[in-house]
Amino acid sequence: MGLELALILIVFLGVVILGSSRLGTMIQLFAAQSLVLSATPLLVHPGKHAVVMAFVTVVLKVFLMPNLLFWAIRHVSIRREVQPLVGYGKTLMLGGFLIGTAFFISSKLDLPVEETSNLLIPCAFSIIMIGFLLLVSRLKAITQVIGYLVMENGIFLFALLLLEKTPLLMEMGILLDIFVGVLIMGIVINHINEEFESTNTIHLTTLRD
Amino acid sequence: MGIGVLVHIIIVLALSPSLLGIIGKTKAFLTGRRGPPLLQPYYDIGKLFRKGSVYSDTTTWIFQAAPVVCMAAALVSSLLMPLGGLEAPVQFWGDIILFAYLYGLARFFMIIAALDTGSSFEGMGASREAAFSCLAEVVLFLDFIILALLSKSLVLSRMIEGNILSSWQLFGPVLLLAGASYFLVLLAENARIPVDDPATHLELTMIHEVMVLDHSGWDFAYILYGSAIKLFVLGGLFVNILVPFHGLPPITQTFVFGAGMIALAVGIGVVESCMARLRLNRVPQLLIGAFVLALVGLLVVLTKGV
Repeated sequence: MGLELALILIVFLGVVILGSSRLGTMIQLFAAQSLVLSATPLLVHPGKHAVVMAFVTVVLKVFLMPNLLFWAIRHVSIRREVQPLVGYGKTLMLGGFLIGTAFFISSKLDLPVEETSNLLIPCAFSIIMIGFLLLVSRLKAITQVIGYLVMENGIFLFALLLLEKTPLLMEMGILLDIFVGVLIMGIVINHINEEFESTNTIHLTTLRD
Repeated sequence: MGIGVLVHIIIVLALSPSLLGIIGKTKAFLTGRRGPPLLQPYYDIGKLFRKGSVYSDTTTWIFQAAPVVCMAAALVSSLLMPLGGLEAPVQFWGDIILFAYLYGLARFFMIIAALDTGSSFEGMGASREAAFSCLAEVVLFLDFIILALLSKSLVLSRMIEGNILSSWQLFGPVLLLAGASYFLVLLAENARIPVDDPATHLELTMIHEVMVLDHSGWDFAYILYGSAIKLFVLGGLFVNILVPFHGLPPITQTFVFGAGMIALAVGIGVVESCMARLRLNRVPQLLIGAFVLALVGLLVVLTKGV
């Protein structure tokens, strides 16, 4: 029950992220989603392993990364995604369709590990899909970073299935990788902004002298 | 049954405008004003009933029929809704469709009455109302499907009475999703703030209020009363879904239901105080968001199996 509430809350926050246009709100929503996410290991397999995972997730995804992203949007001074590639209403519709697909696919999957809740896989898939959708439908580099992070939240959920079997060190490695990735992206976004005077990724596809 | 119908109608008629009064008081309190008295909606309706109606020469019987249809549809729909310990006097298999489309009928008459006046303002309002209600109806029906799956029934009272308690234990998150999306529909259907501003009459951006600009006297009183009943009945459905009070003694049920309704009115007042009306092109997005939430709820029910 607690786990299902958390999972559905995570999908709910994903849908809200998909529908919001302000970057600040998106980052805050991502932080909220990560906060709920950090509780899930404790709900699946309570133990020392889970406590460490939850703690590291809170530190990295609820505090460090959102602050880093806030720092980045302050520096490039953009507040909102003005013209997304696909409109907000359409993205939400597509999001609904993708969530449906995610539930359908997971009903066909036959997993070798036992599931703690039959909502875990569909919700993980849904979040991955929502992250993907953010990644392809938005043009600003920052929104794409958020999309990438949301997708990673989905992968984290998926990895919960193997929580007992994966060594702690490996999970820490993954989280550290993501953190460094976001750090580098923050710096790169700054450079893109200085070089092109815009963080619109569409400019990156055209060649310049 | 005759007595039951009469009691039900009297209660609904007597209590429904008070919700608007509570909403107004809450908004006034949160903005630091004293605000109109709690009974203001009753005074407004009473005042309108004492006045005569003015009809434009270009209008036909449709214009005069619409307010009556609006009021009648709202009253009939209230008969399908249990009020706390009071059973719904009319119940039959599939009455949920009647419930939804009574409001559809009222809306249809409001829209053609607005077009009947020939005013371009009202035509605009009518087209917006039609567009947004299209989106709201889908969400409403998705929520009904969720409830029907959970309760294995198509009778409105059975859907919200019988299995809600056990559903909360098994499908709590789903009911929360359904409740959240239904709340957005409730705001859209009753022309409350994030979708429409009930306080403005002279703005190009409004929806519902612009359609009733030409109505006056008795007709306008019927429209106001009809929308108050609509808020009461749709709000009652919301309270019935979210507060699992069924199974208690009837007196307690009625008490809890009343408290829930007051809490709902205060909640709407709080939402209206802290939000501005959304830009028109953002409204469909809100309703599509509600649609996605209801869809997730439905998928979860289907995945878990009832």
